[in-house]
Amino acid sequence: MSTAQPHVPDVSIEDRLYTVKYRDAGESHLGVENPDVCADCTTNECTSVCPAAVWTVDPDGDGVPSIAYENCLECGTCRYGCPYDNVEWTYPKTGGGVVFKQG
Amino acid sequence: MSHEATTAGGLQRPDLQTETPNYDDAFDAVVVGAGLAGTAAALTMARDGLDVLMLERGPAPGTKNVFGGVLYTPTIRELVDIDDAPLERYIAEKRFSILSSDGDETAISMRPGAWRDDPHNDSYTVLRRRFDEWFAKQAVDAGVTLVTETTVTGLLRDGGAVVGVTTDRPDGEIHAPVVVLAEGANSLVSEGADLKERPERDAVAVSVKEVFKLDRDTIDDRFRLDGDAGAAYQYFGEGAVGEAVGGGFVYTNKRSVSVGVVYRVEDAAAGQTPEATLDAFESHPAVAPLIRGGRRIEYSAHVVPEGGARAMPDLVHDGAVVVGDAAGLVLNSGVHLEGTNMAVESGYHAGKAIAAALADDRSDAEALAAYTRDLDQSFVVENLRHYDWFQRTIAADRQFLFEDLPRALASAETEYFKMDRTSKDEHTGAARDHLVAAAGGWFGAAKRAWRFRRMLS
Ligand SMILES: Cc1cc2nc3c(=O)[nH]c(=O)nc-3n(C[C@H](O)[C@H](O)[C@H](O)COP(=O)(O)OP(=O)(O)OC[C@H]3O[C@@H](n4cnc5c(N)ncnc54)[C@H](O)[C@@H]3O)c2cc1C
Ligand code: SF4
Ligand code: SF4
Repeated sequence: MSTAQPHVPDVSIEDRLYTVKYRDAGESHLGVENPDVCADCTTNECTSVCPAAVWTVDPDGDGVPSIAYENCLECGTCRYGCPYDNVEWTYPKTGGGVVFKQG
Repeated sequence: MSHEATTAGGLQRPDLQTETPNYDDAFDAVVVGAGLAGTAAALTMARDGLDVLMLERGPAPGTKNVFGGVLYTPTIRELVDIDDAPLERYIAEKRFSILSSDGDETAISMRPGAWRDDPHNDSYTVLRRRFDEWFAKQAVDAGVTLVTETTVTGLLRDGGAVVGVTTDRPDGEIHAPVVVLAEGANSLVSEGADLKERPERDAVAVSVKEVFKLDRDTIDDRFRLDGDAGAAYQYFGEGAVGEAVGGGFVYTNKRSVSVGVVYRVEDAAAGQTPEATLDAFESHPAVAPLIRGGRRIEYSAHVVPEGGARAMPDLVHDGAVVVGDAAGLVLNSGVHLEGTNMAVESGYHAGKAIAAALADDRSDAEALAAYTRDLDQSFVVENLRHYDWFQRTIAADRQFLFEDLPRALASAETEYFKMDRTSKDEHTGAARDHLVAAAGGWFGAAKRAWRFRRMLS
């Protein structure tokens, strides 16, 4: 049996996020509670659960994720994804953040 | 009462720089969140003569909200005239499809004639941005004061009782007899105030969705639709969500198609990323032709509480009630994915209970308990209880349901309909063997049938 042939052209996360409208709140609404916990964390679930590539861990760095908060879709997945409950998750300031046009 | 602040029919958008009008102690109830549950509660209370303030963190209702989705309207229709609502299409066809990762599809489709007749089985596709804003406007028209771009940051307490909210506005404390927590699945306020615990990771699903723009005729032709008829396709199996437990969906809007996947955060944490899962689903040979040539107009994501009845928190507290997704009221049974009807139903019962309690000048948990009782007797809690076993059962049977069964079905179909010079009888026997083998022999098949019998009961 033949394997699935992709009929949909390749799409990058940048292409996808380009369709999303945001109002920049100017400061991050996301963070980590304790950077030491991230430094010791080897699984980095925050990076695999986030649909918007907000969380990245530099393999040559200190193990603490960098957070591209301005791409956040406010879905909440990283709140649950981190097994150490180490994600600091709040809402962007006064109406800032994602503005869905369709939903 | 500062009701002049609400221009008739208009949604209020206070200037961020100027001071907000003083809402402290001016209302009977404060509703946190202008989603479906919050608006239903606010509307119900306003109709019962209460002064209601509804606070929404987004720039307009709906700007933060994502769903599949099919809006189920049995309760909404009792509250408002949905003829004017921005509905996309009514559901004329439901189709359940099982996909293997080898490109196989086996589907069952239903188009009962009755669904073509008003009120179309109370099932319509909508886009939340437009629908939520419209629904909130009905509440404003009924007298509710809506303030957007205002995030509730915590609850005010007096002794143990909730007596109001704090917001991110200057002088943002607002005292009121009752607070309705309608903040959705990410219920920071309820959790922060210990009204509920944060759900465990294994009781939450992640979903990613894309909306593809296609012209109306293309959608009508591809999905065999006419007029306002629409289609709701649900997908299961490894070809839909890979190694995860969950499903995929394709819903038709008027001039766009919504496509997405919903599966356990647990599986995403184990390494199967939402983006890759969506990519694989969209490129499955059974799905790709449905969206071919469509322009992506929005990518979105949201969590879905899936804890069912067991994960429901206490719904009433002294001075506060919890409604909708914040209370975990979502049914995800595989066949059903419903939260909109439950959100509205819970908002309605909460609103009624609050009005009755305040008429007696009370707002303690005991006085508000009619909400819990009424919801308990409604379809909401009954359905959640009925399907509570489901999540656990499918998770335990994942390998069979998602990998072995889709392949076995495809092999059986191939065998059954095979054109060669062997007799039909022999093909039937071979087809049956494929299915029985996948189910673990006759005994295994009987055991599975027994385990899943409740799905259709
Ligand atoms: C991908 C997906 C597909 C789904 N598909 C379907 C479907 O097809 N059919 C169906 O019936 N259900 C579906 N559901 C479930 C359904 O969407 C939810 O059950 C429903 O939206 C819950 O409504 P709600 O009002 O409780 O919460 P929400 O709709 O989430 O509304 C919460 C509101 O509160 C606001 N808010 C939150 N916190 C604050 C705060 N601190 N201050 C001020 N405002 C705040 C938010 O901005 C939002 O407007 C789906 C869900 C998802 C995620
Ligand atoms: S946020 Fe959690 S999952 Fe991510 S690196 Fe830190 S500890 Fe690990
Ligand atoms: S809320 Fe969602 S989009 Fe935002 S960082 Fe967390 S997982 Fe990523």
